[in-house]
Amino acid sequence: MSKLKAIKYIFSLVLLVFFAQSMAQDAPEPVVTDFGTGGTLISFWNGLSGSDGVTLNEMLGKFVEETPGVSVRTEIIDWGTLYPKLQTAFVAGEPPDVFIVHASEVAQFQSYGMLKDLSYLYDTNGGTLPSADFAQPGFNGVFVDGVPYGVPLDNHGRGTWANVGLFEAAGIEPHIPNNFDDLVAMLQQLTLDVNGNNAASADFDAANVAQWGTCMEWIYTDFESYLWQFGGSIISEDGKTATVNSEAAISALQRMHDLIYKYHVSPEPAGFDSWQSWAGGKVALVPTGTWFRNFAEDQTDIKGQALPAMQVGPNPGTWFGSHVFMIPAGLEGEKLAAVEKMILWVTDHQAMWAGSGQVPARISVQESLDPALYPSNITIGKTFQEYGHLEVVSKAILELQAALDPELGSALNNQKSIEDALNDANKRMQQVLDRNQ
Amino acid sequence: MQNSESSNAGKAVPKRYRLSLKTRETLAAYLFLLPFILLFSVFVIRATFYAIQMSFFDWTILKPIKPFIGLANYKELINDDVWWLALRNTLYFSIITVIGTSAVALAAALAINQPKVKGKEFFRVLLYMPSLLSVGVIGLTWVWLLNTQFGIVNYLLSFLGIRPINWLGNANLVIPALSLTTIWWGFGFPMLIFLAGLQGIPEQLYEAARIDGARTGQIFWRITLPLLRPTLLFITVTGFIAHFQVFGQPFIMTRGGPGRASYTVIFYLYEAAWRAFRMGYGSAIAVALAFIIIFFTLLQFRFIGRRVEY
Repeated sequence: MSKLKAIKYIFSLVLLVFFAQSMAQDAPEPVVTDFGTGGTLISFWNGLSGSDGVTLNEMLGKFVEETPGVSVRTEIIDWGTLYPKLQTAFVAGEPPDVFIVHASEVAQFQSYGMLKDLSYLYDTNGGTLPSADFAQPGFNGVFVDGVPYGVPLDNHGRGTWANVGLFEAAGIEPHIPNNFDDLVAMLQQLTLDVNGNNAASADFDAANVAQWGTCMEWIYTDFESYLWQFGGSIISEDGKTATVNSEAAISALQRMHDLIYKYHVSPEPAGFDSWQSWAGGKVALVPTGTWFRNFAEDQTDIKGQALPAMQVGPNPGTWFGSHVFMIPAGLEGEKLAAVEKMILWVTDHQAMWAGSGQVPARISVQESLDPALYPSNITIGKTFQEYGHLEVVSKAILELQAALDPELGSALNNQKSIEDALNDANKRMQQVLDRNQ
Repeated sequence: MQNSESSNAGKAVPKRYRLSLKTRETLAAYLFLLPFILLFSVFVIRATFYAIQMSFFDWTILKPIKPFIGLANYKELINDDVWWLALRNTLYFSIITVIGTSAVALAAALAINQPKVKGKEFFRVLLYMPSLLSVGVIGLTWVWLLNTQFGIVNYLLSFLGIRPINWLGNANLVIPALSLTTIWWGFGFPMLIFLAGLQGIPEQLYEAARIDGARTGQIFWRITLPLLRPTLLFITVTGFIAHFQVFGQPFIMTRGGPGRASYTVIFYLYEAAWRAFRMGYGSAIAVALAFIIIFFTLLQFRFIGRRVEY
């Protein structure tokens, strides 16, 4: 073998090894995890693919330790894949024994006849779960025509996270002003160009921003929060009419647009990585959710502080949802008994769930949280009870979201005017509602 | 023995039926094909007809009643702005990706095919390697490479004085960016096909051209490219069929955004069937796409597909 040929082969081998190693390193965390060796195995699907899934798995580990005879196989699947997978599993007659989706989707899944009536688990019908201890308005979300089809695990929703260091550098105490003008003024102070001029300065270079006051993260939920602040909603109370092109909606979206293009305190949303930018000290106030807690704590060089959602409209208001345990309609026997044990155990140990950043669904647990350990759960959780709005409940909520979300993106990325985007969204949403009456 | 033979002598011996060699070979071929045909029938042909059937129904997967609605799904499709937008995006993506992939693959094949190039096998493997990766790996890798703030592409461009480009967040750039990703991922296979095509061109033609004083450019345009026409037809037809069904890249890299700027037909089909649970409408999208692909395939045969013999 010539020297050149030998070098080529060695180089190829090194490349292949590097390639294989990088593939192995990039392998995702296992989505399926088994807990316990008990004889009754229950399968449990959920979409908690962030740090909240880690917390839940820790809880399940403890559950099987304390519950001989039951073992649990969890499958964590991102939400976008979980819904199609649930459909096919139900059609194939092989659904999981228990699963988690959101309260806003209970009506949709119930309309397909998938869900078991869980009235018997609550004290109002002879069970042990104390109905009065579940926080409203989140608890309402599990009911369809007065029947509960789920057990809430938490309330999770929108707030903001301040980079305290950037606030201090601007001489501002971290807080959320209660009117739009003051909010803009604060965010302008926190937005700096590459020369150190803030966005209120006449010399501010909007084309070369080094530090943003805020940014857009999950546009759909923030838009809904601001829409509620203006007194609107995406659909009418009877659920039959789309109302997303109302004056309130136009005002809410216009103010979001103004933060980007008029006041230059937020970047265009598309292509902007809000979490990494916050971690890199490039954003002072990121609008995000309760689930941000562990990410924020992982950034040890940044002092973070959870705050309520920004107030863009005349009244406070924030979006929140609820993760809910549900049981397939056909589950019976030993497996049903094991699933009930698991749900009751997790519900009784919701204090552990606070470690995920989410707000436990039970009021007694919320009240027992240590403010030193769980400041974000308490600060943001309080806003859910004071002025929170549970995600709109509809038999077609997933399709409504799919109709609205891209139009909001079009408006905020200057692809469409605000009116056109909301009119187009309204037209599609009305078609969805008409089909699902 | 003798007796036995004698006793049979008076009877007519039945003629043994023998299959001809051609028939036996044909039968053997079909036997070998049988497993594939069975699987193809169950998972492709049956599924295709089932999808066509579903497209005439209001078919929500979990609803027990699935009413027949005739052509209503197709009527809705014709009036659906998002469908036309997705079709336009898909056509744009397919055209630039097919052209880009063919050009890069041909350039790579020509470079590797040069007689003076050392280590052809090594480069062949090296350039083919991206094709081995899954769309998930490719998508996530390129999301980071093209990241506006932290991506290496913008970092390298900054040395040329170019300001950060919002590759995946700009409505005008997102399809070219997805196309760029796809070209990098997929040019390895057509490169191998082009290499095979190049090696099939008789050397005498090049010798004759050189004796006649033809320059390199003339040789390429007058000999190489015309004689690669069958290869080019194969690559463009299969590439177009594949790229018209693009899904993984927009699903992983942009989720169809910004707005709906990178909605493709299959992405929209996924949204309709799996997010809105409307299998009937999703099937109508699939059937319409199949006809469109057939139309464009025939068009390519018409314009590129003249038979070349040498």
